[in-house]
This record gives sequence, structure tokens and C-alpha cells, in this order.
Amino acid sequence: MIAFSSAVTKPDVYRACAEPGIERAREADSVVHSPPAAGPISTAYNQLLDTAAELDDLEALVLVHQDAEIVDADLCATLRQALGDPDVGLIGCAGAVGVRSIAWWEGSVTLSSFANRYDEHGGGDLPGLSWKWEDPPPYARTGEVDTLDGFVLALSPWVVRNVRFDESLSPFHGYDLDFCLQVRAAGRKVVTADFQAIHHRPLEMVPDLEEWIDAHVLVAEKWDGRAPGIGAGTGTWKERARRAEAEADAARTMAYSRQLELRAREHYLRNAIAETTESVSWRITAPLRRLVRSR
Amino acid sequence: MIAFGTAITDSDEYRRHAQPGIRRTVEPDSEVYPFQAVGAVGRSNNLILDHAAESKELEALVLVDEKAEISDPDFCEKVRRAIGDPEVGAVGAVGATGGRSIAWWEGSVSCGAVTQRYPDYEGGEMPAFSWTERAPAPAEVEALDGLLLVLSPWAVRNVRFDEALSLGHGYEVDYCMQLRSAGKQVTTADFGVIHHRPLKVVDDLKLWAEAHIQLAEKWDDRLGGEHPDSDAWKQRARRAEAEREAAQTMAYSAASTLDAQLAPLERELAEATGTLAWRLTQPLRQANQWRRSRAGRRDSGGPR
Repeated sequence: MIAFSSAVTKPDVYRACAEPGIERAREADSVVHSPPAAGPISTAYNQLLDTAAELDDLEALVLVHQDAEIVDADLCATLRQALGDPDVGLIGCAGAVGVRSIAWWEGSVTLSSFANRYDEHGGGDLPGLSWKWEDPPPYARTGEVDTLDGFVLALSPWVVRNVRFDESLSPFHGYDLDFCLQVRAAGRKVVTADFQAIHHRPLEMVPDLEEWIDAHVLVAEKWDGRAPGIGAGTGTWKERARRAEAEADAARTMAYSRQLELRAREHYLRNAIAETTESVSWRITAPLRRLVRSR
Repeated sequence: MIAFGTAITDSDEYRRHAQPGIRRTVEPDSEVYPFQAVGAVGRSNNLILDHAAESKELEALVLVDEKAEISDPDFCEKVRRAIGDPEVGAVGAVGATGGRSIAWWEGSVSCGAVTQRYPDYEGGEMPAFSWTERAPAPAEVEALDGLLLVLSPWAVRNVRFDEALSLGHGYEVDYCMQLRSAGKQVTTADFGVIHHRPLKVVDDLKLWAEAHIQLAEKWDDRLGGEHPDSDAWKQRARRAEAEREAAQTMAYSAASTLDAQLAPLERELAEATGTLAWRLTQPLRQANQWRRSRAGRRDSGGPR
């Protein structure tokens, strides 16, 4: 039996996003357990794991963020196939290798089969690199990764019964990397599989900067020297500080360039639209457009 | 006498931008030093300083970037007013306080009437540093933008650009720090300047990062006595690495947000220009375009 769980802090979000996806993917015998939650996600998730651990016939537990929507109706079949390898402990639809921090997307992303669906500016989707398989990049593939995005995680029964989220870390950020590292440290595989999900979330990725920075430091301190690459860097601490400070300023500068580009592009588009819709040819063909619209 | 100097790496840029501004601005007794750039920016600027220092009548030296066009009819008067205070060592059109690195714009920016004229997207103009809040000039600051630097005679004769900063970034921040270490003030003034440059703030971020490190090594003594592998450096490195990745992630967010903002306009334009009516009248627009360009050539006396 494949179970589904969410930690629900915003019932309306759960009903709009996670619930329809779970209903789409669940099987007749699936247990769905999505209780109200408060506090850190690691605490809420551990409670979900404790509950699921008592299910004798558990084949997998799928942890779904309340704002995540599973797209695939055949998710359970995909998970069973992945779990055919008894060493697999965790499965997700987005992950990377060469990861060095909680910013796992700064690693080498191998799969990203989700779309970020946002409401801002009239709404839209930002598809991940493998959201559609028509023309994937050459490095897109399923298989073993260093870490997964935690918005949809499928856990093997062994993991449900033997690994817990670290409640000493940040309330929200980096829990997924830490959990993947624990699973891998226990000798189990962390893998991506070919299923899709939609993440309904704003475009802003770091709304709480200080909390995110604290999480970054905590995870680096915990795993530096224990997991390859995590928290690692070349040179003395002084050299690393200097370089990181420079690169942080460079990243901010890059964002400023983008802002300027937006303003210029906006100006160009508005001019082009005005030129188009105020031109003689636009005005004389207005009856034709009306005719087309009326058909 | 107010002198003007430019280190020229691209003669066309100088002819198009700096030169017309200088010509409009010079007074009858002004000296102008247009020198071919030699080596790093610091060395080229020092060459100009060496020449200006020989002038006994020097009131101020204006270092004009080849892409900067002075657009201020009262420029010389403003220079005299700003540099009249003997405590002032340098005056610029843009500067900031609290930047703490070559990214001086991360501090509180003070800005005169400076605009950025860009070639991207068929060209346009916007206020300089429009991505951040800008207080109006004048203000005392810690660092100035190198686009236009007005130096006092004392500065010209006593302080040199650091030629060891060979990467082309941060030389102006270093010069301001030298002046302030010597007890001189650095201020902005309400100069009118047009900066002709693309939208990209920094061209080569890797080189820029190296220059950032170079200047930090020279001036940042917050942990000067600490061993390079001390706990203090470790804590600073951990935080800096986290901030770097946060900044990179926030840059992605910003890019996505900006794309989302533009998407409705892109759609509107595509819809307008994708209609059958628009396609049918394409020959008419082409004919009009040809007629306009032909008329333009005639007006400018170009070949027919």
C-alpha cells in the first residue's frame, strides 16, 4: 500500500493543490493522512513518519508539500518500479549531483520534472528542465542523485522506520538535503524517477534571507567532512571568505543588470505595441479584425 | 584653470561621447589631456595626473571616462563651488557611503543628474543606478564612480592611483580611500552627465570578483591579525558562502519575476503582429519604411 501525507498549515492551499494531486495518484487502498501542522516542517514530517511506520502493508510513503500537486495518475506504478531496487530509499522528481549546500540547484541538476506555477503578473508556469521530454537537455536523466527537492518525496518503508528529519536544523530550509544525506549515509540510494508535479508557489525563492542563511550554515557545519562536497571549498577560510564575498556582490550585480534589462525591454515592447496599434495599417484593418473576432 | 583628461582605449567612443561633452564645457584657458591608455587604468590616470600637476594655475582636474558625456552648462561653476573647500579631495557625479567593497553601490548612493544611455533594445535612456534608491547630490561619500572624477590640485599633486590594482575595477574606490586616509573629503555634486553604456552593470564577473578580492586584501583589516584558518575567518567564510548562494538564488528569482512581468506585453505584441490583417499590410509598412529611410538620407546629404 502506498500512503500519502501532507503537513497542513494552510487548509485552503492543501485543498487547492496537494489534495487534487493525491486524489489523482492514490490507489483504492491508499491511506491519506494530512493532519493540521504547526512549527518546523521536520517536526511535522517526523510525526507523519511515526504514523506511517505503523502501517504493516506500507510499500511507500509519499510526502507532499501542501502547495505541491502530483500530475501523474500512474505515480504508484512509477514508485513501485523504482522501489524494485531494494537499496532505493528515497525518490523524487527533481534532483542534482555535485551538490555542496542547501542550494542544491547550484549543483549539476539531472532532473527537474516540475513546473513552478505562480500567481503574480497574471500567473504562469516556469517549467523545469525535464517538465516536457520532447527536447530535454543532454544531461537530463533519472537515476541516483545527491539530493532531491523536498516538495514531493517518496520514502521506502525502511526509511520511514529508520530515518528521521533533523529537528535541530532550520525550521524549513535545507531539511530535504539533510534527509537525503542521512539516507545516503545509511547506505541507501536517493533517486529521481519520471513523474511530474506542479509547485504552486510565488516566484520569490528566498523570502526569509536570514533564516535561509542560518540553514545553509547549519547544514554545512553538520556535514562538512562527513559527506563529500558538502560545506567544502578550496583554500584557507580567509580565501574562501574573500571569494564568496566577491561572488555574492557579483550575483547582486547580475540581478541589477537584469532589472535594467527589464526596464529597457518593457520600454521597447510598449513602444512597439504603440507603433503597431497606432499605425495607419492597423487602423484601416480594424474592420477585418472585428470580422475575424465575430466568427 | 580647470583641466580635463581622458585615458582612451577606444578612439571612437571618445569621439562620440567624452569629446563633445568636454568641448561644450571647456573654458578658454582649460587644458585638455586626451591620452592613449597605457596598461591598467591606474597607470593611464597617473599619466594624466603627472601632466596636470605641472600646471601652476590648476584649479581642478576632471577625469572623464571615454563613455561619459558632460551635459551640464554650469559644470565649471559647480566644479569651483565643490572643490573650493580645501578639505575636499575629490568630487564625483555619483558616489556612496557604506559600500565596503568595489561594489560601492551596495551602500547609500548619492547621485547628480546622471543618465544612462544604452544601445540595447534599439536604444534608450534611464536614470543611472535606477535599480537602487538614490539620494540627491551633494553629499559626503566614501567612494565615487570613476565615470567622472574631479580632483583637487592637492589630490593631483599628492595622491596617485594604485597601479598594482591591475584588473580595471575598483581603482576609483581605492583612490577615494587613499584620499580619506589622508584626511580629505570625498563628495558628490549635482553634475549633469550622460553615461553611454550597455545595460550590463559588469561585463566580466569573474575578473570583477578577482578585483573585489584584490581591493579587500588591501583595505579590509577587520580580521587583519587573524590566522587565515582561524575560527573568525571560518565563520565569515560560512556566512559569505551562504550569502553568495542566497544572492545567486535571489538573482534567479528576480529574473523569473522580470520575465513574468514582461510576458503579458510580449503576448500583446505577438498577438498584434500575428494577425492576418497585420500580415496583409506588411508590404505597405515596408514601402513606408523605405520611403522614410530614403527621405532621411536626402535630408542628411547622404548618397542617393
